[in-house]
Amino acid sequence: MYRYDEFDHALVRERVEEFSDQVARRASGALTEDEFKPLRLMNGVYLQLHAYMLRVAIPYGTVNSRQMRQLAHIARAYDKGYGHFTTRTNIQYNWPALTDLPAILSDLADVEMHAIQTSGNCIRNTTTDVFAGAADDEIEDPRPWCEIIRQWSTIHPEFSFLPRKFKIAVIGAEKDRAAIRTHDVGLQIVKGEDGGTAFRVFVGGGQGRLPHIGQEIASAVPAADLLAYLTAILRAWNLLGRRDNIHKARIKILVASVGLEAFREEVDKHYATLRHEDLRIPEKEAERIKAYFAPPPFEDLPKASAPFDRALLADPDFARFARNNVRRHRKAGYASVVVSLKPLGGVPGDITADQMDAVADLAERYAFDELRAAYEQNLVLPHVKLDDVPTLWRALREAGLATANADLATDVIACPGLDYCSLANARSIPVAQALSKRLADMDYQERLGPVRINMSGCINACGHHHVGHIGVLGVDRKGEEYYQITVGGSPDEQAALGDIVGKSLPADEVAPAIQRTLDRYLEIRAEGERFIDTVRRVGPDPFRDAIYETLDAANA
Amino acid sequence: MKIVTANRLSDGRVIYAGVGSQPVEGIDQASVLDETTAEIVLAEVAGRPDIFVNPYLVEVQGHVPSGRDRLKERIRSAGPTVGHSVAGGVG
Repeated sequence: MYRYDEFDHALVRERVEEFSDQVARRASGALTEDEFKPLRLMNGVYLQLHAYMLRVAIPYGTVNSRQMRQLAHIARAYDKGYGHFTTRTNIQYNWPALTDLPAILSDLADVEMHAIQTSGNCIRNTTTDVFAGAADDEIEDPRPWCEIIRQWSTIHPEFSFLPRKFKIAVIGAEKDRAAIRTHDVGLQIVKGEDGGTAFRVFVGGGQGRLPHIGQEIASAVPAADLLAYLTAILRAWNLLGRRDNIHKARIKILVASVGLEAFREEVDKHYATLRHEDLRIPEKEAERIKAYFAPPPFEDLPKASAPFDRALLADPDFARFARNNVRRHRKAGYASVVVSLKPLGGVPGDITADQMDAVADLAERYAFDELRAAYEQNLVLPHVKLDDVPTLWRALREAGLATANADLATDVIACPGLDYCSLANARSIPVAQALSKRLADMDYQERLGPVRINMSGCINACGHHHVGHIGVLGVDRKGEEYYQITVGGSPDEQAALGDIVGKSLPADEVAPAIQRTLDRYLEIRAEGERFIDTVRRVGPDPFRDAIYETLDAANA
Repeated sequence: MKIVTANRLSDGRVIYAGVGSQPVEGIDQASVLDETTAEIVLAEVAGRPDIFVNPYLVEVQGHVPSGRDRLKERIRSAGPTVGHSVAGGVG
């Protein structure tokens, strides 16, 4: 993985020093909250319901064991012993004191981490395919390009005061495992006409109050011109985007209002100049960055593994874990392992300090010292020898991290909601927990197959409810929590926004309604159809009927 | 009736204006005030930004939040309704 050079080290240390001084001035009263707020937001610090919240960047979701142990240390020393992984593959601490922030940021800098640009109107953490460098369908590893984007976008003077936040995701395969079309800019690595690396570019995606699916603005931007093209997009938006209305400031609103063609013309105008300037990425530099992401020293192994196959036969619990949480790998004899942070009735995305240490040890021992954070709020050990998977599974089980539900109905994506967040209108976590308990039967979940259920506690959509196969949005109705259900959303290469099925439901009705939806799917699915396939074939009506059937009966 | 609440500058924790407008952590220790007095206390604590960050008024019945934001204020006063993710499960 990437290691800081002297410039990275200096930049991060200088920022720690600068922010420490700002915190000291705030604590002494020399800065007012209004003066301090934009400064803290530049460093990932929010003031939430109960305390300050610190969001730490995990660039493109990659961490090593040393970094994970430091995250555990921070959770223990400065928080309540846990952290929360987000849908931007960052980690949030819910309880740090203002006066501890300088020490936390210094501890992070010790392991090449920071909280820069995890909030505010700037380019946020670039995300990618959690199986990057491991997936067997990848054209090229997207992580070096994420790193190049990170370097370009960090404290970029032109893009430090954008109309709103800006999110980029990059994938290296046709299969979209990073939800790129829900991003301000989504990049898909393709082969250009000359056979070299190029980028298919989507623009204007986004969730929140006015959701949009990104549209293709360019089919193959040559790799060397990537930064010129991104600069052209951001410059066009920075100049034309609205700053008078926070709800209409994202690039998606600009693209939708002027139309894709007109926006493309604007971008092309800037690109025509920019591509001949200093923004071309020298091949040598791209190669230097790529070297950091060279594959680990894989052994040449047979495709099948006797210990793995024996464990499959010997232990049904392991077999279930292998079916649901183990993914194919590009290298024979290896697999990627999903570590679910969705235990039965747990808080989606939460992980204790002890679990962080445990998973760090396992990454070091079994996965070439590498861990990934997935936007689904899980972790992944990307490169594990099949021979080692049974032992790894036993260790995960001991740490409470072996829930075999990856991509199943209880692998719910949920924002912190009104239990923590000052923006939320309703709670997300208890609704996710109720659903998790209701659908706990693993046989039932496996019969259902992959279903993505997403919950957000407000319209800002941190829980990505618009693109959940089933989405749940918390709303406030005269001080009471209600939940609006959508069906048919999809975050992948067939990205779509879900349809709102009807009036919102009280909290205790949500889990039963979702179960009825899933039961209806089991009744009407065709052979081999996943939940989302059935929704696409038959539309939302049968599911609407299922959701409201008992309510209608009660009201009849 | 109203109480005055804010977050504490040093650690962001929820605080209320208690006796003598002193910061207190428990909602049951908050001074329950009529509209006019509440405005006076709000102005008073707003003048102490070294302790009270973003102070505002909360409608209450007794010491229980009762206005439009009652759920949010109850969660603020009692902590996350889902407890904390600590070793051994959600506590």
